[in-house]
Amino acid sequence: MKFTTYWNCAALAVLAGSALAAAGPVKLLNVSYDPTRELYQDINAAFAKQWKAKTGVDVEISQSHGGSGKQARSVIDGLQADVVTLALAYDIDSIAEHAHLLPANWQTRLPNNSSPYTSTIVFLVRHGNPKHIKDWEDLVRPGVSVITPNPKSSGGARWSYLAAWGYALKKNNGDDKKAQEFVTRLYRNVPVLDSGARGSTTTFVQRGIGDVLLDWENEAFLALNELGKDKVEVVTPSISILAEPPVAVVDRVAARHGTAQVAKAYLDFLYTPEGQEIGARQFYRPRSPEVAAKYAGRFAKVQLFTIDEVFGGWQKAQKRHFNDGGVFDQIYAPR
Amino acid sequence: MIHRKSIEGSRAEGRAVRAFFHSTVARCALSGLALVLAILPAPARAQSADPQPVPQPSAQSADQKLDQLQQKVDQLDQAVKVAQRKQELAEEAAAEKAKADATVTAGTGGFTIRSPRGNYLLKIGADLQVDNRTYLGVGAGSDIDSLVLRRVRPTFSGTIYQYIDFMFRPDFGQGTTAIYDAYVQLNYLPWANLRAGKFKPPVGLERLQSDDDTSFVERGLPSNLGPQRDIGYQLSANLFKQRAYYAVGVFNGVPDASIGTDTAVSGHRDYSARLFLTPFQPDENALSGLGFGMGVSGGNMDGEALPSFKTFGQQSFFTFASGVTAVGHRARLDPQAYYYLGAFGLLTEYALNEEGFQKSNVRRVIAFRAYQAQVSYILTGEKKSYTSPTPKKSFDPLHGGWGAVELAARLGDWEAEKGIYSYGLASSANTPRHLHEWVGGVNWYLNRLFRISADYGKTNFGGGAPNSNKLPERTILLRFQINFI
Repeated sequence: MKFTTYWNCAALAVLAGSALAAAGPVKLLNVSYDPTRELYQDINAAFAKQWKAKTGVDVEISQSHGGSGKQARSVIDGLQADVVTLALAYDIDSIAEHAHLLPANWQTRLPNNSSPYTSTIVFLVRHGNPKHIKDWEDLVRPGVSVITPNPKSSGGARWSYLAAWGYALKKNNGDDKKAQEFVTRLYRNVPVLDSGARGSTTTFVQRGIGDVLLDWENEAFLALNELGKDKVEVVTPSISILAEPPVAVVDRVAARHGTAQVAKAYLDFLYTPEGQEIGARQFYRPRSPEVAAKYAGRFAKVQLFTIDEVFGGWQKAQKRHFNDGGVFDQIYAPR
Repeated sequence: MIHRKSIEGSRAEGRAVRAFFHSTVARCALSGLALVLAILPAPARAQSADPQPVPQPSAQSADQKLDQLQQKVDQLDQAVKVAQRKQELAEEAAAEKAKADATVTAGTGGFTIRSPRGNYLLKIGADLQVDNRTYLGVGAGSDIDSLVLRRVRPTFSGTIYQYIDFMFRPDFGQGTTAIYDAYVQLNYLPWANLRAGKFKPPVGLERLQSDDDTSFVERGLPSNLGPQRDIGYQLSANLFKQRAYYAVGVFNGVPDASIGTDTAVSGHRDYSARLFLTPFQPDENALSGLGFGMGVSGGNMDGEALPSFKTFGQQSFFTFASGVTAVGHRARLDPQAYYYLGAFGLLTEYALNEEGFQKSNVRRVIAFRAYQAQVSYILTGEKKSYTSPTPKKSFDPLHGGWGAVELAARLGDWEAEKGIYSYGLASSANTPRHLHEWVGGVNWYLNRLFRISADYGKTNFGGGAPNSNKLPERTILLRFQINFI
């Protein structure tokens, strides 16, 4: 056998092997924040069914949940996420900045700033609302015990913190000093900080600690449905923040896994009527006007402000309030 | 999912406390307690010089006292729960921190230091073989009975930056020091792992088997016709759930059975490739242990040292004529297969080489052929495979453990084409061009890391002129081996 014949055989074998290697079931890992377990269980099942019907290929989607900031750090440290669906844009920015796994302009690649659904921060109180908590002002009263996670690790807690700050700013005509005083008083009423939203729900609901839980709207309604109205009540404050949890394909990981196409389709599915309906059923506010109209009765009307209009965006908010040595570190002293 | 049962269960204690304070009995008891508390100063007043009438507490003040007490209890209840929750969170944080710490392990897999996610790993291993070589009958030259340190190889291997594996393994055995393996491997693409450095080129089946996994003390005759170690680059991967393995590489080029000199002797390169298929998944059916494939290599031998071929007893048996040099093209073809079923194992391969040599003005390509077929059976019932068995019971006779025992036998043949004589490349008067061997052996795996092997091998020589062939070599090799990587 000639030398060239050997190599032609070898090259053919390698090419055939590489082509066939791409076949078979596709596996995706969705790294998400704490309260989205139930949402993505439903989304994953629906998308897998749709993808199978469309392409004939099975897709298996694994979920990982935790505090949003903590999840971002895990991805930076090597957790093999094909997609990230985190609580706030800053955490995905961190992945882009520190690990270069996706481009800096990731948020422009999908509609609505890559946020297929929104939510806000509401209060979960005990049955009968024994402390008569109606609005943010009630949270700083002496004797009111407030449960919220640690904003250093939890995306939901950062939204809660900024919602309280925004409320105080609006009430005090933009007086930043008074806003800080207000938030300081609020955190004096926080006896314990969990690392994530689900942990705080455990603290409030299962451990029976505190009078009010600052929570994602979807998480609060989930607790209400699970426990019943004879156990807890949802209180919507007069003003809150428009929380926009973003999603993104982690380009370099997906490219390496050969999952870029299915990962993008997975996130696109969130914007479809079916994806939006699933989100609405799980108490996430839909972006689609049609679906929003259909589920309008589920969501209380509340005056919402955005992080851009009050804080100048996540980068500024993070740097001032949540980075080491920031405002939160100054106002919160563990007891 | 938040479960109603667990929630209610965990809150039961708190509800019980509250229920107690709301019960009629409790209210009566607490009213009494409040009354006692209210009248406690009375004795002191009763002892004063001007005693006053004792005021009776009203029902309203008793209720107030009761409410105050209930508030106190609620506060205490919350304080206790907060303290308990903080303790839980502290324990969770400690568990998280423990996950973030590197782990050090020592066990049957060797000694390792591993970062929390396994992205950084260092394994320290060793490969030590002590051989006793006994040559039966009349010996001559170097075939004298001896004890040798066949391999003395400390091993350092691991992973850095998640995707990059490395291996460094020198050998200090047989009175020499040489680097056997020194490479890095980038595992970023699952279908194409890139390796660079010194390692085994992808050609021979038994050569690619680790020396601690082979069924015999020394490898069979086809391994005489393949490269042992070489410096180069290689792309390789397992595909289709381990059903197919491919490897392609470019190397400096080394003589047969050689580890080279760690430097290129010419500008030419050797190219190697191997495709090996294991079509059936483990335990899928009776053919699950079947593997077959082909290894090939090609290149140029200009400037290389002449190959040296050895018997089972590690004696050189082939001598090129004076003035012969390696020159021109070299090609290697190595079809190979194995089959394992339960305790039974079969491994076979065939090697065909075409190599260029020159003496004076005579320049010819000579063909070498070799094959072997080996069978083995583990008497103690462990599963035979391409790697060493793990004994069901490690050696510990006092507790009924004797390790695993394996019997093995092989046939082999090696041949150079007749032209080796007619072109004057070797002398038929003192060099055989044909070998035939059979070997039988027993392996005693005391545990996963330690093994004792005893082999008997007989090699017949032929092909040369009448009366020029060597006497048959009859050798007993005994090996004590410890290996962990």
